[in-house]
Amino acid sequence: MTGRAGRGDPVGVTARTRRLVRPVRPAVPLVSCAGVLVAWGLVAHNSGAGWVQAVGDALGGVLAVGLVAPALVAARARIGIVESPGDGTAGLPVELVATSNTRLRVRPVDPPGPDAFVGPHRAPSVTRQRAGAVGAAEGDIGRANTEWITLVPRRRGVHDHVVVEVASASPFGLLWWRKTVVVGLPRSLHIGPRLGRPLPLPGGREDTAGGGVLDATVAVGEPRGVRPYRPGDHRRFVHWPATAHSGELMVREMEGPTAEPVTLEVHLPADADAAEQVAERAMATVVELVDRGASVLLVTTEDGGPRTGTVGDRRSAGRRLARAVADPGAPPSP
Amino acid sequence: MRIFDAVKRANRPGPAEHSITLRVACAGAVVTGIAACRAEGELSWNVAGGSIALVVVGMVLAYRTRERPLPWIKPILALSAVAAFIWFFRQLTGQTLYDVSTVEDPLAVLFVWVQVAHAFDVPARRDLAFSLAGSASLMAVAAAQAIDLTFGFYVVVWLACGLAGLVAMWSSASEGGRLRPRGVIATLSAVVVTGTVVLALLPAPHVAGKIDFPSAAGSGTQLPDPGGLAGDAKVAQLAKAGTPAGATRVGGFLGFSNRLDTALRGGLGATVVMRVRADRPSYWIGETFDRWDGANWSVTPTPHSPQRLNENSPFILPGPAPIAGPTQTDLQTFYIVQPSPNLVFHADDAHEVWFPTHDLFVSDDDSIVSPIGLGPGAIYTVQSYVDTPSPDQLRSAPSADAVPASIDERDTKIPHPYPRAEALAESVTARDGNTYDKVESLIAWIAKHTRYSTDIPPLAPGQDTVDEFLFGNRTGFCEQISTALAVMLRSIGIPAREAVGYVPGPYNPITDLYDVQASDAHAWVQVWFPGYGWQSFDPTAVVPLANPSPGATLVHDATGALKRLPWIPIGIVVTTASVLTVGARWRRRRPRTWADKAARSIEAAGRRAGRRRRPDETLTEYATAIDELAGDPSGTWRALAGVVEASAYGGRHPMPGDDRQILASMRALRDELPRPGVLVGVGGIRRAGALGRRRSSPPTRGTDGNPSTDGDG
Repeated sequence: MTGRAGRGDPVGVTARTRRLVRPVRPAVPLVSCAGVLVAWGLVAHNSGAGWVQAVGDALGGVLAVGLVAPALVAARARIGIVESPGDGTAGLPVELVATSNTRLRVRPVDPPGPDAFVGPHRAPSVTRQRAGAVGAAEGDIGRANTEWITLVPRRRGVHDHVVVEVASASPFGLLWWRKTVVVGLPRSLHIGPRLGRPLPLPGGREDTAGGGVLDATVAVGEPRGVRPYRPGDHRRFVHWPATAHSGELMVREMEGPTAEPVTLEVHLPADADAAEQVAERAMATVVELVDRGASVLLVTTEDGGPRTGTVGDRRSAGRRLARAVADPGAPPSP
Repeated sequence: MRIFDAVKRANRPGPAEHSITLRVACAGAVVTGIAACRAEGELSWNVAGGSIALVVVGMVLAYRTRERPLPWIKPILALSAVAAFIWFFRQLTGQTLYDVSTVEDPLAVLFVWVQVAHAFDVPARRDLAFSLAGSASLMAVAAAQAIDLTFGFYVVVWLACGLAGLVAMWSSASEGGRLRPRGVIATLSAVVVTGTVVLALLPAPHVAGKIDFPSAAGSGTQLPDPGGLAGDAKVAQLAKAGTPAGATRVGGFLGFSNRLDTALRGGLGATVVMRVRADRPSYWIGETFDRWDGANWSVTPTPHSPQRLNENSPFILPGPAPIAGPTQTDLQTFYIVQPSPNLVFHADDAHEVWFPTHDLFVSDDDSIVSPIGLGPGAIYTVQSYVDTPSPDQLRSAPSADAVPASIDERDTKIPHPYPRAEALAESVTARDGNTYDKVESLIAWIAKHTRYSTDIPPLAPGQDTVDEFLFGNRTGFCEQISTALAVMLRSIGIPAREAVGYVPGPYNPITDLYDVQASDAHAWVQVWFPGYGWQSFDPTAVVPLANPSPGATLVHDATGALKRLPWIPIGIVVTTASVLTVGARWRRRRPRTWADKAARSIEAAGRRAGRRRRPDETLTEYATAIDELAGDPSGTWRALAGVVEASAYGGRHPMPGDDRQILASMRALRDELPRPGVLVGVGGIRRAGALGRRRSSPPTRGTDGNPSTDGDG
């Protein structure tokens, strides 16, 4: 299963959702319980001892509840994603904050990920306390039912939903029952491609006019000065000494590129694996160009048609490539 | 190799289990199983006590070494398990298997041994699950020999431990999942309802194999007069004295002896005298009387009675084969609870008896007499033929002329003429042409014209029981009623005798036993039918109660039921559950961190000052409000709240020692807060100096003898 590049409805396309609960490997628990009860019944009935039968009846009640109750719990389980990042990278974990009305084992299916447990639990050390909630509700500390779910998308794409398999074995842990649910994300999750092998890039600009004029090489990306913080500035550019000195947040101002923007056209083939490789190379190329200070004009094809735009950082490049779809005119493979 | 790999994978030890709750629950279930086996006499005190101690030690050791189990444990445990099996088979080899207890006692020891060994090697959750399952086998072995409701205490405790263990197992598997109180209630309700439905739907257990016919001597002793009855003075009374409202004599029901004195009056109590497992409810006869003297029944001595059966258990009783050929049988097992006469009670047509002696005595009237007194713990089993002829068959029985001479001589004899009783009997049976209809007609007359009551006036000296009952007060209990019927039948030449025994008491669906009480002692009539033998008739069953009072009966039954409840075990369970619930709630509510504790201290201070914290209020906002109430512009409480929040969210915890000082300061400041309606003194509240540090110098006196004005504020 893949996170589909571009915006697409995962329901019915990437995963067939099953809302009915079904047991997980029921053979061993069912056969074991049935065997125990039958053997107990034979002994009880033929020994004539009423208490043996009575204890067996109680045991049967426990086993019946243990085998059936999780199905009800799983059927009534509700799970929601309360926080999710906007960006991620294929192959790298993305963490979502989930909440549920009961303790569930959650297995991300699309995108895939490792199992996690969500829901009311006893361990306060793994929960996040709400800000300002010290003693806010008596006995509330340690009882938050939000926990992390980790996704490890294999491919780039845009996700508005995640498909997860939730399972419960409450209250006795005898048999797990599961169901597949589609959970909406609070905001779209853009999974950019990995960094592949970049395209070979040309060297610096050559002066063909002669005259001994030396180009003053502009050190693109080097600090030029400091200025006050403006919304949108990256936090890694904060200049702490200047900030301490001035009393307000100050950021470094970098030299910008002065050269013409480099146009990168990305034509993705229809084959998904091949498209992924192309996207990875494109991503690596864009990142290298941006690191060199070049302005990159990225041309891709999205669901709404061709799109051209400048990308100034890895995040925006990742988003553009996450949304890119196969170009109908592109060859099947690079 | 794939199978071998699969087996290897299945037996690979799982991850270490850290849940202490799960281990305690599993240990509790195992210990309860051992205690239950001990309560049923399957283990000695030494074995039970030692096993419990070893289980606890083993569980603790297994917990301590859960990450790195000791490598030499498994071989030792395997060897001990093998030794246990060898011991078990040696116990059974060479023994005559009398009944299931012969197997169950060594089986209980074997199970306990295996559980003890297993307790030392339970590092993972799966191993603890095996312990839990093993405790079920212990409970099954104990339940096989349980005959009363007190075993329910162990069942409840074991179920509680088992359920707690299962929930803890799920909690561990789900990395800390917990059940809400509503979920706990729903789970318990579902278990109880499901178990009850299964109990109601399943048929009652049925003893299948001869290995299951138990017999035990109990606390009885050899009697000096083999074959004689020891019901008069050598055994405990079975009944209490009658109520003061009726004229009573001292003593009670002494019917199970050589004579039945119908002049005795008394009320029988609800003491359970024995418990009976039977295929069907019957009248369990003890003995019969054939000689009537106007007030007493007794037995006519015969030269060859009683007959001694000297063949070891099971004893085949002499007697005719079933009339209709092979027929159904009724198997009854009697568990004696109170000291009883040495009579072997049985349903009609007893054929085979499993009794824990080498000999047994049978009288001419088919009474079975034990050579030992039957005390608590005695058990015996009787198999009877179910050979009840139909009314039509009895109607077609030959006439009284075909009665054997011995029976005719003995069982039609009356001590003196009963002209009125005879006339009455003849008038009632005038239209009946056979013995059966005559008996039924007399029973119907008795039902219509007499009343049942145990509260009747005593018999005057020389007074005849039958005359007094039929033509006097017409009120009596089973002895008077059955005697009247027997005498009326004898007066018209029909052989009849008095039979005494027990009727089935209340049936307990859990133990599948009839709890026979002292008040279930009963007397009825047996009538001889040529070709069919003695047939039982109970005239008392159709006699209506004197002065029936449904309300009083209901109250009486309810009171009796309440009295029979095992209040001590119930009280223990309820008390334990309450303590555990309160403890769990306290544990859940107690502050887990210093910041929690400090925050609660601030909230307590605010409540004391009459200001409760709103749900949407941060601690700092709340502390500011307290400062305003206290009139403290320096913001002491706010500063303290800041320290608490820095600890909770900033990870800046106060130094050890300072944290206690801060709490102490809070308590001191709290005491100085104005109460609602209490005037604040001049100077307001003393401030706590540096955060966490407060000068606490005692009040001093100045040189002028007056209290020093040098304070903290």
